[in-house]
Amino acid sequence: MASRNMTRAAFFVLTALADQPRHGYGILREVEELSDGEVQLRVGTLYGVLDRLAADGLIVLDREEVQQGRLRRYYRLTEDGVAALDAEAERMAAGAGAAKRRIAEGRRATAPADTTPQPPTAPGLAGGFA
Amino acid sequence: MTTLLESRYRTVLRLLPAYYRREREEEMVETYLWDVDPDTQDQSRPTLGEVASIAALAVRSRLGAPGAPRRYVLLGSTVRLFALFAVLVQAAAAVANLVLELGWAIGRGGPGQHLFLSQFTDQGLLDGVVTAAQWTLPLLWTVAYFALLHNRRRLARASALLAALPTLWPLLGTLTGAMGAGDPTFATAFGLLAWLPALALCAAHHRDAPPARLPAGTPGLVFMTACVVMGVSIVVLPAAADLAWAPASCFVVGALGWLLWEARGGDGATPGGALALAALGLLILTVRVAALYPWLHVPEVPAAYLGGGLAQTGALALLTVAVAVVGRRDLVAAEPGLS
Repeated sequence: MASRNMTRAAFFVLTALADQPRHGYGILREVEELSDGEVQLRVGTLYGVLDRLAADGLIVLDREEVQQGRLRRYYRLTEDGVAALDAEAERMAAGAGAAKRRIAEGRRATAPADTTPQPPTAPGLAGGFA
Repeated sequence: MTTLLESRYRTVLRLLPAYYRREREEEMVETYLWDVDPDTQDQSRPTLGEVASIAALAVRSRLGAPGAPRRYVLLGSTVRLFALFAVLVQAAAAVANLVLELGWAIGRGGPGQHLFLSQFTDQGLLDGVVTAAQWTLPLLWTVAYFALLHNRRRLARASALLAALPTLWPLLGTLTGAMGAGDPTFATAFGLLAWLPALALCAAHHRDAPPARLPAGTPGLVFMTACVVMGVSIVVLPAAADLAWAPASCFVVGALGWLLWEARGGDGATPGGALALAALGLLILTVRVAALYPWLHVPEVPAAYLGGGLAQTGALALLTVAVAVVGRRDLVAAEPGLS
């Protein structure tokens, strides 16, 4: 995973598992909440992502429960998963920081020169404020 | 008790291969039904989006997803190599045709250039635009080929789909009965030669698939060799050079080279290569026959065209069978029950 870009879906699934193990439905809801509703995974997409993350060693099965005759599997992050999520978060934060800096520089460069008379901030020649 | 909604979800999940359902079905059903009120389950249905996501997962899990059985890994490798080989053939054909036709036009001076340009200017605006698109869009096969081998998959997919578009025009012409529309069988076969590789590329070279890799040589060297083989085949026997001629010649040389390489031991690292070549051979053979067949009973057709076409058909058929035999050996090794 480290060698290729992490998808948005994979990033949110890892983030959903960062604090505690969750099952499929729990991950779906958590991803939706974490992304403010922007990422709504389908079940087919979720299991494709889980397969890939498990194959990359970023998540593992935590435990299985049987509720009313149906299987519920909980997944958790591995050490590699925590490291990959941390690295991705750092990468995104660095990108966001660079964007913020450039925007601020751009605004400063295009701002009109301020011609409004300003009170002097230092004593005048007469020794008082003009 | 199983509700109607649960039965419907289980029906949708039958799109997935058996190995995947054994592992995941119960868990996925639980995820689907978690917060659905049991009292309303008989009135609900899986949404189109849910069905589409399972269909996409079904394709990926059959084309060598993580943890897939050996036969699906082989199938995935075969489809990826088929797409790569076919895109190479299309890319080299587009470049070789363009270079030869431009060379012909320039070599004949003013009249040749006028004749070349007249195909864009003498038939009205719409036909001129279509002709220009039919000239330029196939060059995107080259972009698709190099993008694929440099792991730029999204660019490769978009380029291949755009490059395949011009083959729809003759098909539309035959469907609408337009004047000058070609033979519908050939138009269909030629369209398949473009669209099957483009769709295979989209399905099998997804972001989780292993990177595309040629069995031998560098991307540029292999591409140049394919261009030269196609160009030489046209220059040596121009009377036989219809639209199937150059791709078929390239396949014959490539398949012969593959068989010799396999006979000397190969590298053993390209599972599915022979099956991919067999599929491509069958497709090119179909185009070859579709191009030749309408002319078999026309008395004025030059003997060189018929002779060249028939010889090429025989060579294609023989080599396709030979690589299919090698491919079956790979298949049996992956799935011993087939032997």
